[in-house]
Amino acid sequence: MTLRVDDQGGLAYSGYNFAYLDEQTKRMIRRALLKAVAIPGYQVPFGGREMPMPYGWGTGGMQLTASILGADDVLKVIDQGADDTTNAVSIRTFFERVAGVETTTSTAAASVIQTRHRIPELPLSRHQILVFQVPIPEPLRFIEPSEEETRVMHALEEYGVMHVKLYEDIARHGHIATTYAYPVKVDERYVMDPSPIPKFDNPKLDMNEALMLFGAGREKRLYAIPPYTQVKSLDFEDHPFEIQSWDEACALCGASDSYLDEVITDDQGGRMFVCSDTDYCQQCRGEVA
Amino acid sequence: MHDITMELSSSEQPPYVPKPHQWPALKEAVHHSQQLFRQVLNSMSEPGTFAEVDLAPLPKDVAMSPAAWAVLLVLCDLDTRVWIADELNRDGLAEAIAFHTGARIVSRAEEADFALVVPSTCQAMPRFSEGSDIYPDRSTTLIVVLASLAEGRSDASRRGNTCWQLSGPGILNQRVLELDDTAEALMQRLALNRASFPLGLDTILTSGSSLTAIPRSTRIQKPLEDASPTPFTHPAKERV
Repeated sequence: MTLRVDDQGGLAYSGYNFAYLDEQTKRMIRRALLKAVAIPGYQVPFGGREMPMPYGWGTGGMQLTASILGADDVLKVIDQGADDTTNAVSIRTFFERVAGVETTTSTAAASVIQTRHRIPELPLSRHQILVFQVPIPEPLRFIEPSEEETRVMHALEEYGVMHVKLYEDIARHGHIATTYAYPVKVDERYVMDPSPIPKFDNPKLDMNEALMLFGAGREKRLYAIPPYTQVKSLDFEDHPFEIQSWDEACALCGASDSYLDEVITDDQGGRMFVCSDTDYCQQCRGEVA
Repeated sequence: MHDITMELSSSEQPPYVPKPHQWPALKEAVHHSQQLFRQVLNSMSEPGTFAEVDLAPLPKDVAMSPAAWAVLLVLCDLDTRVWIADELNRDGLAEAIAFHTGARIVSRAEEADFALVVPSTCQAMPRFSEGSDIYPDRSTTLIVVLASLAEGRSDASRRGNTCWQLSGPGILNQRVLELDDTAEALMQRLALNRASFPLGLDTILTSGSSLTAIPRSTRIQKPLEDASPTPFTHPAKERV
């Protein structure tokens, strides 16, 4: 492996295939992606490869990104909404080095966005692709540990247990206490885990203009929501689905419509709420990245 | 013995069959296949949207379309099995697929990952795999070579064409696809996908260098002027 300086003055590795994966692996993932798009919300098994990072760090998302990425794509990587955290920085640098693609922190400027646990606040547009990193793709897994069994449950559309789980929340807490990885039903058929995004982001899954792809590296499953697809969060007539809300606005940009992270500022109980989406917060403050 | 062979070759010109290497390859393996794949992915995500493939010309007078050939080059390899309709199984196509992709050619329709078909194949649709209830993804993807393919226009019926209205995932309200009347049986068959969902056939339609896709999730209807339900039985149900 030799390190060379690329056209933009950055460091790029030569000796790897473009975007790390070999072409046969990409073809296998591409065929699986087409099936995933054709059956929205259904988990397609794929031959997951070992990536140069541990499971749990987004190897599934990276394999999907590597399979769709082209030389003219502009890549953005976020981790919990932020462009500047460890996971986001290392995956972005990885693709800069093995694919030499242009990267950005601007949601609007990106053609491919790999994300861990958030959907950007800025509405996505047609022909953008959002790639989710998924730890556990099976929404029924905590109820039924057997993969064989959950496959049959999906085949039979036997989703009553999912509602029982939400009902138990209501019985115990008086409201649905599930706040992230909130189960959804895609195109009135498959119940799907939207990955551990806060339920605040669930409404963005519905009729989104962008193609959304989900990759689970350890579990070797991928699934998709095509653009303009109905995605409904599970709920009850008397306990309709609700998203989180805050009494305060973002302490940095003043936005009151974004998902806020609570940040502890000292050991005296001081705290502030700030946008989890760093690009959105910077745009609001006029600090264009 | 010698005389007979001489006589045969002189009296009857053997049909010209292009050699496998005369079929075009991708410009290069990595970026060209990525660009073509994104076009296919885009059409599959937004059914009924068109893409124009950029590929070197096919050998002269072959029955295949450049777009269908491009899809094979992008998606097929040693792990895939391809079924070819009789109408297309000429011009050295099977040898060319083996040469360029390494894919296996199968004669049993239900074994195919990809099936190269023409509209007349669908008059008596071979029993392609629709996947299983547990693994609906293990199904055949049809690659259809059509004479014409266009976005729907209002004067379609005047030109002997039929418009098909598409809706469902990937389509905001509806999209209209204009096909000539030979595609009737094909579209009637694809319209049945909805009843058997999540089982079904995903389809890539090609004509010349343009392609579009109709995944099994798409609802297909004829536009309202002739909305009379056409009786058509599912081939699987017919057997019972």
